Amino acid sequence: MNPLFQMRHVTKEFGGITAVNDFSITLERGELAGLIGPNGAGKTTVFNIITGVLRPTVGDLTWKAESIAQLPSHLITARGIARTFQNIKLFADMSVLENVMVSCHHSIRSSFWAAMLGLTKHRKEEERIREHSLRYLEEAGLSELAFEKAQNLPYGLQRKLEIARALATEPGMLLLDEPAAGMNPMEKMELAAFIRRIRETREITIFLIEHDMKFVMNLCERIRVMNYGKSIGEGTPDEVRSNPQVISAYLGGTATYAQG
Amino acid sequence: MSATLFVQQLINGISLGSLYALIAIGYTMVYGILRLINFAHGDLLMVAAYAALYGMLLFSLPWFISFPLAIIATGAIGILLDRAAYKPLRQAPRISLLISAIGASFLMENLALVLIGGVPKAFHRPNCFSHVIIIGGLHIPVLTIYSPLVTLLLVLGLLYIVFKTRAGKAMRAASRDFEATRLMGIDLDRIIALTFLLGSSLAAASGIMWAMKYPQINPFMGVLPGLKAFIAAVLGGIGNIVGAVLGGFLLGLFEILIVALLPDLAEYRDAFAFLLLIGVLLFRPTGIMGEPFIE
Amino acid sequence: MGNSFYLPRPKAAANPAGGPTAGLKRWLNAALFFLLFGVLFLFSHYGSGYQVRILNNIAIFITLAVSYNLINGVCGLLHLGPNGFIAIGAYTSALLAMSPAEKNLNFILSNVIWPLNVIQVPFAVSLIAAGAMAALFAFLISFPVLRVRGDYLAIVTLGFGEVVRVVCNGAQSVTNGPLGIKGLYPHTNLWWSWGVAALSVVVIQRLINSNYGLAMKAIREDETAARAMGVDPFRRLMLGFLISAFFSGIAGGLLAHLITTISPGLFTFLLTFNLLIMIVVGGLGSTTGAILGAALFAWGGEALRVVEQPMQIGPLTIPGIPGMRMVIFSLVLLLVILFARKGIMGRRELSWDFLFSKLAGSRRAKTPS
Repeated sequence: MNPLFQMRHVTKEFGGITAVNDFSITLERGELAGLIGPNGAGKTTVFNIITGVLRPTVGDLTWKAESIAQLPSHLITARGIARTFQNIKLFADMSVLENVMVSCHHSIRSSFWAAMLGLTKHRKEEERIREHSLRYLEEAGLSELAFEKAQNLPYGLQRKLEIARALATEPGMLLLDEPAAGMNPMEKMELAAFIRRIRETREITIFLIEHDMKFVMNLCERIRVMNYGKSIGEGTPDEVRSNPQVISAYLGGTATYAQG
Repeated sequence: MSATLFVQQLINGISLGSLYALIAIGYTMVYGILRLINFAHGDLLMVAAYAALYGMLLFSLPWFISFPLAIIATGAIGILLDRAAYKPLRQAPRISLLISAIGASFLMENLALVLIGGVPKAFHRPNCFSHVIIIGGLHIPVLTIYSPLVTLLLVLGLLYIVFKTRAGKAMRAASRDFEATRLMGIDLDRIIALTFLLGSSLAAASGIMWAMKYPQINPFMGVLPGLKAFIAAVLGGIGNIVGAVLGGFLLGLFEILIVALLPDLAEYRDAFAFLLLIGVLLFRPTGIMGEPFIE
Repeated sequence: MGNSFYLPRPKAAANPAGGPTAGLKRWLNAALFFLLFGVLFLFSHYGSGYQVRILNNIAIFITLAVSYNLINGVCGLLHLGPNGFIAIGAYTSALLAMSPAEKNLNFILSNVIWPLNVIQVPFAVSLIAAGAMAALFAFLISFPVLRVRGDYLAIVTLGFGEVVRVVCNGAQSVTNGPLGIKGLYPHTNLWWSWGVAALSVVVIQRLINSNYGLAMKAIREDETAARAMGVDPFRRLMLGFLISAFFSGIAGGLLAHLITTISPGLFTFLLTFNLLIMIVVGGLGSTTGAILGAALFAWGGEALRVVEQPMQIGPLTIPGIPGMRMVIFSLVLLLVILFARKGIMGRRELSWDFLFSKLAGSRRAKTPS
């Protein structure tokens, strides 16, 4: 059987700089995997390639046996891959509820004609989207703040809202780009529990980038390490911890890979 | 079309193009640093033309004093424009900045209308710019030759400032990375002021030559040349000074030659530049000299 | 997430659950429509020609400003070419509604082309055609226009408006060139102008409040994030662009049959500039703001006529200054954008929910706790 998601020999160049170099990865249904590496290793570029923000220079990506390398972002989301952003990208001037409701847009069935004419069919659809979105807010513990503007939320809740918003697209795979950045240990623990719960209740694949080693090692079952755009190791947390290449990359002994 | 006529049109195109080039430089420099289309830039042509004319008329100054004074005054107005209309909005959304630019442009035009009146005024062309040289069937006004030469001199001077002086280096650094330049302790306000001073002075020089070429000046004379010069800047690759000059000359040639080759379409002349712009944006949005965008 | 956070108090004000019920709102809306109906009835029977003209102007401005705000305020694109769509609508409606005989009288320099030389349709049909024609052009130019953003989009749309004007000047056998079209029948009355205004407000407001409107706002806030949530920016912006052009076109047709003479000079960038003032003063992104801005502009434009006319103060005669109004308008735009960027309404709407919550808020403030 085909794997859920596969990225094969992907390279991305920006005018002479190779941000991602011959990177391959396979993710199965229900996996909880991590992507780590020093700053500038190309982790976010990998996410941007998966979600269609960037096109790979070389290589292919398949999702449920279909190539998605040339699909635009919104169609990739519609196929079932959702993400959050490293530098939070909420719809700042819209309410918390509206942020989540946007995620239902790709599944809307009534036409804009129905919307403009105010047909009952459309009103029911809006009601459905609203209910659906409120459920996601409740799950993330944000129902109380549904009518607050997203920009007024404290930092940690903004990150949580991003996850709720991504979940509302009903993805089969969720990409989290540094979900714990800027959180205190207490918040990080709660976040880890939230991520585990998401995976368990939905059986979806979660792939996350994180700098906090303790957080990743505790949460993920499988970890991939990147440096200078290249994959330099993969395994269980214990295997990664004892991998000499990984240790040297993190301790600054990067000379061997500097030509990547 | 005869060969003579063709050469004649070619010279006309280069001459018109040199005027676009001077204006385009100002657009491209301001865009490079502030990422803003300075909508009011074209109106500086009008300011310079009136300043030069009134210097000669009211104060009886000879042209070689009145013209430089007009250029300096226009440069100062350029700086004032930035301080009044753009500086307060440095942190604001882009759409506000653009609306402010449009407002400033209309304010300048209509202030001129109220103060001077809407009736076009005749621009007194100094005698030394009025000769016509005749070479083998070609009738070439000296102005047509002077303007590309003046443009070339001014561009060389500008390139010297931008590439050889400390201020020029800071300017280039700011157009590469605004925030990093600020962090390096460079006074960006002074750099921006210098950018506006240089861009506006070049537009002023162009405005005065424009007024001598088409010696009927009115408060709205800068609008169309301004828009077209912006298109020239995009054509050349926005943010790139040499590109702007090249774009200016190309646009001038393009306009004159299309009208010369297809006289039936002369009425649509002002539409060509915009169609060219759409073409450039569709097929090569970074322009001729522009680098591809880097993430 | 723990109690380490400051949790903002839930806002009852923005919560529709705390507002008036849907049934009550329906009654209030109906009452508002009857009020408008009554006012129009009174003015169309007893109002002076001047009053009726101002009211017609306000209605057409409302239609234009609300549809312009859909692009600039809701989608967040600085579109500078509505004058082009208004021109297309005005010419389409004028050429279709005019009798062939009248057209022949107008077209002196060159004959009007087939089929315009034989065709005449009822006013209502000409208005729909005006909107459809404007939307068709919007569709065609949206391909180059929506590929770019920001300043580039501004200049391309400005170019479009300019090209339409130049073509209206040049295409003599269609538009009669610079001479324009004279002697249109004054079809536009209060019922037409306000009917269209009400229709455009209701339809556009419904669109904005729907999930389609949410998607447009999401694109305005952060296009990359909107894409990542499954929104196709091209299709949503195109939808906004077409709807906006459609109503601008109809308003153009109404305008043509209100002033009865049109020429290319009427549809310059100045028209776009005026619309920009309306929506900026009213508050970019607010439909009720656009309505307020349009009404203020129509009223202010009339009130400011005094500065352009000679004034008699006692024995002193102050000469009027032509062009002074535009100086004031430009200053107003600059001052608002520099010092009160949100305009009157910001992005809020003057809705029943909003009014009720204000009322409730002031009542709560009065009762001692």
